[in-house]
Amino acid sequence: MTFKHLFNKNFGKYLLGRIGQTIMVIIIGITITFIIPRLAPTNPVELKIQQMMVSGANIHPEAIRQFREAMNDIYGLKGTLLEQYVNFWGRLARGDLGPSIFSFPYPATDIIMKSMPWTIGLLLSTSVISWIFGNLLGGLAGYYSNRRWTRWAELLANSIRPIPYYIFAFILLIVFCFVFPLFPTLGAYDRGMDENWMNPAFLLSVLHHTFLPALSLVLTGLGGWLLGMRALVSNIISEDYVQYAEVAGVKKKTILYQYVMRNAMLPQITGLGMSLGGIFSGALITEYVFGIPGMGQLAYRAIVGFDYSLIMGVSIFSIVGVSVAVLIVDLLYPIFDPRVRLN
Amino acid sequence: MKRLFWLVVSALFATSVVYADIDPNKEVIPGVKRGDTIIVEDPTGAITNPDSFNIWTVWAGGNGGWSHGLQQLAMDTLWLIDPDSGLAHPGEKDNTWHNSLAADRPAYNKDFTVMTVKLKKGIYWSDNVEFTSADVKYTVETLAQNPTALFGPQFKTDVKSMTTPDKYTIVFNLNAPNSRFHRNFTVRWNACWIMPKHRFEKDLKVATDLMTYNFNPPLSLGPYTLKDYDKHGGWFMWERRADWARTSIADFGKPVPPFVMYQLDLPNDKKVIAQTNHDLDMIHEVTPEGIISLAKNKWETNWFQGFPFGHPDPTLVAILPNNAKAPFDNKDVRWALALSLDITKVALASYKGAVTLSPLQYPPTGTSKKYYFDPMQGFLKDMTLDTGTNKAYKPYDTTVATKIGDMVRPTFGDAVPKDPTRLAAMLGQGWWKYDPKAASDLLIKAGMTKKGDQWYKANGEQFKITLFNWGTGNPTLQRLGTMVAELWTDFGIETTALWAQDNGTRYNLGDFDVNMGWNIESWGGNPDISFFADSMHSRFYTPIGEVHNGRNQVRYKSAELDKILDKVNLSDFNDTAKSAALGLEFLKLTAKDMPTIPLMSYNVMSSQDNTYWSGYPNFDKPYANPVTNWANSRYIFTQLKQMLPPKK
Repeated sequence: MTFKHLFNKNFGKYLLGRIGQTIMVIIIGITITFIIPRLAPTNPVELKIQQMMVSGANIHPEAIRQFREAMNDIYGLKGTLLEQYVNFWGRLARGDLGPSIFSFPYPATDIIMKSMPWTIGLLLSTSVISWIFGNLLGGLAGYYSNRRWTRWAELLANSIRPIPYYIFAFILLIVFCFVFPLFPTLGAYDRGMDENWMNPAFLLSVLHHTFLPALSLVLTGLGGWLLGMRALVSNIISEDYVQYAEVAGVKKKTILYQYVMRNAMLPQITGLGMSLGGIFSGALITEYVFGIPGMGQLAYRAIVGFDYSLIMGVSIFSIVGVSVAVLIVDLLYPIFDPRVRLN
Repeated sequence: MKRLFWLVVSALFATSVVYADIDPNKEVIPGVKRGDTIIVEDPTGAITNPDSFNIWTVWAGGNGGWSHGLQQLAMDTLWLIDPDSGLAHPGEKDNTWHNSLAADRPAYNKDFTVMTVKLKKGIYWSDNVEFTSADVKYTVETLAQNPTALFGPQFKTDVKSMTTPDKYTIVFNLNAPNSRFHRNFTVRWNACWIMPKHRFEKDLKVATDLMTYNFNPPLSLGPYTLKDYDKHGGWFMWERRADWARTSIADFGKPVPPFVMYQLDLPNDKKVIAQTNHDLDMIHEVTPEGIISLAKNKWETNWFQGFPFGHPDPTLVAILPNNAKAPFDNKDVRWALALSLDITKVALASYKGAVTLSPLQYPPTGTSKKYYFDPMQGFLKDMTLDTGTNKAYKPYDTTVATKIGDMVRPTFGDAVPKDPTRLAAMLGQGWWKYDPKAASDLLIKAGMTKKGDQWYKANGEQFKITLFNWGTGNPTLQRLGTMVAELWTDFGIETTALWAQDNGTRYNLGDFDVNMGWNIESWGGNPDISFFADSMHSRFYTPIGEVHNGRNQVRYKSAELDKILDKVNLSDFNDTAKSAALGLEFLKLTAKDMPTIPLMSYNVMSSQDNTYWSGYPNFDKPYANPVTNWANSRYIFTQLKQMLPPKK
């Protein structure tokens, strides 16, 4: 298969069409996320005032009235929805999501960028690890379905898979932070360390703190991939070409990896693409339970606090992430499947 | 295989013992030992802009965080009122009142248009610059120019001018008589904190720069300075100033812990785990289930040293009917709603019986027993209602504490006292009777009829209530709301407990039937009612559909109340007897009118670990509020004892 062979005229058309679709999806998605919070009856200024009052602050009624007017002005909540929409795209074109409403005047983009590495680090690594090992074990379990260890692996996967990841996280927290306090309960790294990713001590500390959340995500994710791959492989091994290869005496390893698993990979690659795209919205409860300062926690706080800018920011990253991931997966199909290449 | 299993379990257990070991020499952050550090919860939640220490804007700390040590340890203002009994200190007979930066109480002229304040001498900022009247003047002037700053609109409206005759005197000339102007500088939970003029003048080009100013690192006027903090807003470490004696806390002695660390973003389960592992000395608040679990440990203390555990906050949890909307605009209907509640069930559902009940529109905490709850007992016992069938129905029930005590004794055993006086001090002296018959009579008097087991309004519509409830963020109050809805439904008023994100917005607009929460908060240590009652004056009344300003979203209006509040505004705050007398007038009026249905104080289940530090306040030694996010909690640090000093 040559480069020229892969990227022919048809592929060019296909590529342009898919990119166009992706751009449309992103624009529509962002527009919807712009409109929905603004149609909601909740008002961030009122929320701020309530928060102050509930906190026990003593503010004179007349002062609250003046404060409300000034806040509406400063938050840019004056003007029609259309005016706000046009301004929003203008700012977005410059990479500016505006100031966070609840952490004014701190830019929403900066807040997101601070959380992003934690989410990407945690979810990218756990998604890839669970995908690789899940598919590998699933392939083996499907192909060598009569062996005792594959049955055990399947049983284990079937037992773990139905447990929601957050329940699993909580169980790990109780067992390894409370009953056997081997892992820290608080934060993403030891207190007082500089966030320097080049520092081995910092990396070790991060690994120590994120081991349990990662384990909860890997184990619950792995079960799904394993069972999915096993089911696919079980179907494929009854295909004529596999039977023929076996009769022809082709090595079992070659049959498994080159004939069976490769053919079973397409839906798994799609699944991986979707889950990688989705990492931008974070794993809320895992982050919450283990105190990881990622996008999930940020999204939760943004929604609870009705922080338009942050809600928009997190949603935009998620929309763009999923759309681009799907696009990349679509573009990778021709490499894995010659049938796609032909059409 | 079995052998291997047990080997692994034993290894894990052995490791756990090592990890859970109490070690005063282990480092909390590099260079700071555990034995020298008190770790305190700040309930704010992780904050999104931890780099900001600008406490004068509503965005302070991000998502409203003022209490990561900033207001407790580094900020100061003119006066503080302790919500509990306070500590004895020089120059004041009243322990609850502290002349903090002020040398004396506020002095007003005869018509309350001028307030003169004498300041303490010898108070220093952490950069060795003396605090003077120029700082106070600068603070007020700067805030007045910023309408989105806390206290900005207040100063702009109220202050005509200021003069500083000398370094230690400031005179406020007010636009209108206001005997409570000093409230702006008097801490309950917080107040207007004083700015360091010399630093702000250097950093702010114009006053409005305040809104985008980070004030990082913060200059301290309190006994601690910022040492380090988590860039994700998870924790903040404060270090005792070497010159702490040049701060106002010196009135109470040396703050004991060399370091104070505030830990944020702790869900309930993690608080329990962290304190059990001795990694969290002071829990601000945990669920009743959490404190029941923690209280089993010998090293743990709480306000009551056992049942009912929680510290009654000077905050009144109440059912808040919309007084501007029929049929809740009818006093008889509001009374019917109160008498159809079995408060023992409400107490058990919410706090598992660990409540401090209040039949009055006032939280039953701090000095309120002395000023209000004891003096009101006679009035409450004699008070009568006209139920339509009984012209002199007596609704007050003094047996509820005993009933609740009997109900919870099987669970908590001897921790629940049998002495009725002690029980009443813990659980409240009384509440309104659970009397569905009287409640029915009141609804009939209000023109309603009962068909089958449902109540119908005079216009033929079924009487249904939507009760705005709390969400899962506060499971205790959520359960409370659900029980209220069940009891009313059982009584024949179909009630839906609803939690929705726009509950608050609708509440402010008056678009609600009944809300549940608090609109009355008191000083705790002082009987003055202005803190919460100002907003109830009819001049701030807003009709349904307009956003309300202040604390009277229930839209209660009374000419009699206006008269009381006008008297409050023209009375001397320092005349405590007068304040208490006016407060009693307010309580008698609202007891009859029942604008809201008072339930109980907001009991905060605070828990303390005595392994590294001891000497926390409690019911028998109520020198301070144990709730860690209050600015007044600074006093606790002067009373602690270091239990496990690290090796030097």
